[in-house]
Amino acid sequence: MQELLARIVAQSGGWIELRFQERKTKQIAVRNGTLEESSSKRIQGIGVRALVDGVFGFASTTNLTEKGILRAVAEAQGAAQTSASAKKQRIKGLANASMGVGTFPVSTSDPLDNHTLEEKLALVMTIDERIRNGSSLIVSSATSYAEIQDEKLIVTSDGANAHVFISIPEFRVMAVAQQDGEQCFGTEANSVNGGWSDLMGLTPPEELADYAVRIAVEQLNAPHPPGGLATVVLDPGLVGVLSHEAIGHTVEADIVLGGAITADKMNQQVASELVTMLDSGISEHLPHATGTLPVDDEGVATCKTTLIENGVLRSYLHNRETAAHFGVEPTGNARAFEYSDAPLIRMRNTYIEPGDTSVEDLIAGVDDGYYMCGLGFGGQADSNAEFMFGVREAREIKNGKVGKLVRGATISGNAFDVLHSVDAVGNDFKWDLGAGTCGKSQAAKVDAGGPHLRCKGTIGGRQ
Amino acid sequence: MNNETQLRERCREALKLTKRHGADEVEIFAQTSHAIAADIEKHDLQTSSSQQETMIGIRALVNQQVGFACTNVLDELEATCVDAVKLAKASPQDDNNVLPMPTSVENVPDLYDPKAESFSVSDAVEQTIRMIETADSIDARLVLGGGTFSANLLTRCIVNSNGIDLAERSSLFVYYALATAKDGEKVSNMAFHFDASHSVDGIDVVPIATRACNDALGSLGAEKGESFVGPVILSPSAVQDVLVGLFAFQLNAKNAVRGSSRWGKMLGEVIAHSSLTVTDDGRMAGGVATSSFDREGIPHRKLTLIESGVATSLMHSAYTAKAMSANPTAHASGSARSLPGIGPTNLSIKPGEVSKNDLIADIKRGLLVNRFSGSSNPISGDFSGVAKAATLIKDGKLDRPVTGTLIAGNAFEVLKSLSGVSSETERVFTATLPYLRLEGISVTAD
Repeated sequence: MQELLARIVAQSGGWIELRFQERKTKQIAVRNGTLEESSSKRIQGIGVRALVDGVFGFASTTNLTEKGILRAVAEAQGAAQTSASAKKQRIKGLANASMGVGTFPVSTSDPLDNHTLEEKLALVMTIDERIRNGSSLIVSSATSYAEIQDEKLIVTSDGANAHVFISIPEFRVMAVAQQDGEQCFGTEANSVNGGWSDLMGLTPPEELADYAVRIAVEQLNAPHPPGGLATVVLDPGLVGVLSHEAIGHTVEADIVLGGAITADKMNQQVASELVTMLDSGISEHLPHATGTLPVDDEGVATCKTTLIENGVLRSYLHNRETAAHFGVEPTGNARAFEYSDAPLIRMRNTYIEPGDTSVEDLIAGVDDGYYMCGLGFGGQADSNAEFMFGVREAREIKNGKVGKLVRGATISGNAFDVLHSVDAVGNDFKWDLGAGTCGKSQAAKVDAGGPHLRCKGTIGGRQ
Repeated sequence: MNNETQLRERCREALKLTKRHGADEVEIFAQTSHAIAADIEKHDLQTSSSQQETMIGIRALVNQQVGFACTNVLDELEATCVDAVKLAKASPQDDNNVLPMPTSVENVPDLYDPKAESFSVSDAVEQTIRMIETADSIDARLVLGGGTFSANLLTRCIVNSNGIDLAERSSLFVYYALATAKDGEKVSNMAFHFDASHSVDGIDVVPIATRACNDALGSLGAEKGESFVGPVILSPSAVQDVLVGLFAFQLNAKNAVRGSSRWGKMLGEVIAHSSLTVTDDGRMAGGVATSSFDREGIPHRKLTLIESGVATSLMHSAYTAKAMSANPTAHASGSARSLPGIGPTNLSIKPGEVSKNDLIADIKRGLLVNRFSGSSNPISGDFSGVAKAATLIKDGKLDRPVTGTLIAGNAFEVLKSLSGVSSETERVFTATLPYLRLEGISVTAD
């Protein structure tokens, strides 16, 4: 297939990108001890992007014969030609980049296929039972395992010829507790880019289950927090969500060009000088971050991109088109979820660099505030960096000590205001986006994390 | 493969293969989709594209154990049939794993417009240009940061071992616009509007582009709001974000079987104010989710879920109907890529008799929320989030746009104290919704 793609690219004329993908997925889902899903999926196809007269055209096909691929090439070129007369801003060129060449295997010693369906099913059933046995107040449980295994060939007319393998297993749990007709739930999830033991070694599924039970039960009798501005200590999970969802999207160059709040902020102070934020295709600090990607879907070798350096905005996230527009090097952020998706600018592993304050000292410095962990139910952010996230676990901090749980808490505000308010950065680090899937007209598996942070945010609850 | 007859033959072949490999019962659901799209980015045409795919999903039952496998690699279909049987054999038995029996299906008219077959990439490009030109004609401060026009031809086919053997073609044109207004340092909220049509003649992108632009302009220059506990009017879009997910969850019979639906045990009981009636109609003329039969081949029909505040029915698949000794309601949902789920089709809240302005008229201090960005928990009913493109109401009139304002409440409680339903409705994705006036909402200005 690799030779066929290279031959078609060579004979097609003009700039062209061919991307073959075979995806195999498995999904096992159990609720209340009942198997709800045991499924597999196998898809294959080729996505073709052509650049004609400064305009992209895209076509996809499942016909993998030479004739079928050539037809898709003609469709992509035809779509580009049709659009050329209507497009105001033509693409002047694609930025030069270090293109990926070679084979990029999954970094693991324990491939997912080493483990049988029966083993995976038995684990999911066992963990689901553990949730239901976790407390007499638990009325419902849900446990699932899913895996994605991708094989991609990315061949472009300007030098990419990459054979990329990706393997992402994930494990999710949910517990629903009930008392006096009132229900609350607790959730937890994990995913890695790696193999079976890499996932199991992160946090054992038993611990995920016990955590979900504890949060569900404890919330039943928890009060809602009063609304208003408060000092908060965010855990690596929420730091990751803030970095990805509220800041990261506003520095995606396509969003910037669409009018994001960062459009005229380059080299300006946008956060406390304690904050350094990055997005990387490499799993920095700790291995197996879910968004790890050696080569992006334009064939560009990925790198580490410093977005905010000591509080100063230093870079956007680029594909080859926007990099040329801004006169910078591509950052390797063009990603497509399936063969039938055209690459878009997406994040990979987004994080804040650790600082030098211990987590104990971060909390000890709060007289009256909240310790907030993980993304709870719901969340959204806009291109003006306004965000609102449900918080999975929020606890009061009184006189430097973490205390009782509050229920249904949210944190909101303008993400840059929140980052300006950072007065201490923890010296710890964790990838902690759970089983992170980002949605931006197509899905992308991503990760995010960082250390604990102390800052100010608006707490929502019910008065 | 875009021929309905060929697709049906492939399904029948897959059914035979799956039975041959050991399944007692089999369901094959297949779909061929052909999509043409043109996308807007940065107020300009971005990419145009064409895609085609045939996907076949196989549900195999072996001794009431179920397995599901799907593929688009049709040359190796038998391997997927084998996989489905293998997954079934490894699964625990569940008496509720059943496939439905065939019933008479009357085709919904006007789902398919033959003119859609000749709809080209250049036609899609023309529609996106029209959206951009609409924004340009309204105000120079507007940017369409995103938008799409897509033309979709879909053929669905379902065959099961009980004798269901159905196929249907449909055409659907889907379009949306995402508008932002920027004036110096001031950036508005992002405003989104959506519409769709099954026919070429029904396409009209101008109204949704206009509404998105006006909403963006309306939130420009918004300043800090006020904190109070009082009335809030949710726009149809905000009703979708705050309440429709709750309806879909609480009225899903699977959640009743799971024990996680409060309303699942309250059929016949009052769960909301008498002004609330909620229906779901998979055969609704022009509906985005309209089709003749559901994901399991049961004919769609109109169903009243909540009538004058009383919970009247849950949404069922064959599984939940068996589990709860009820009749299937044709709410099996999803594509060939997954096992059937349960979900609404074209959900509607019955409009009231007063206008949106009448809902505002007697409010001394309140908030009109055009979009809600936050969380709405379908189990506990708690919702909390940012009121986007919100306008303060003072002395019965819209006063000024406000930003950074949070609203919070509990959906179960606010539905009981619902104090107004507007006569105007809007389509929000597959739902048709009015403005709703809620009481006792916590409004917090930061």
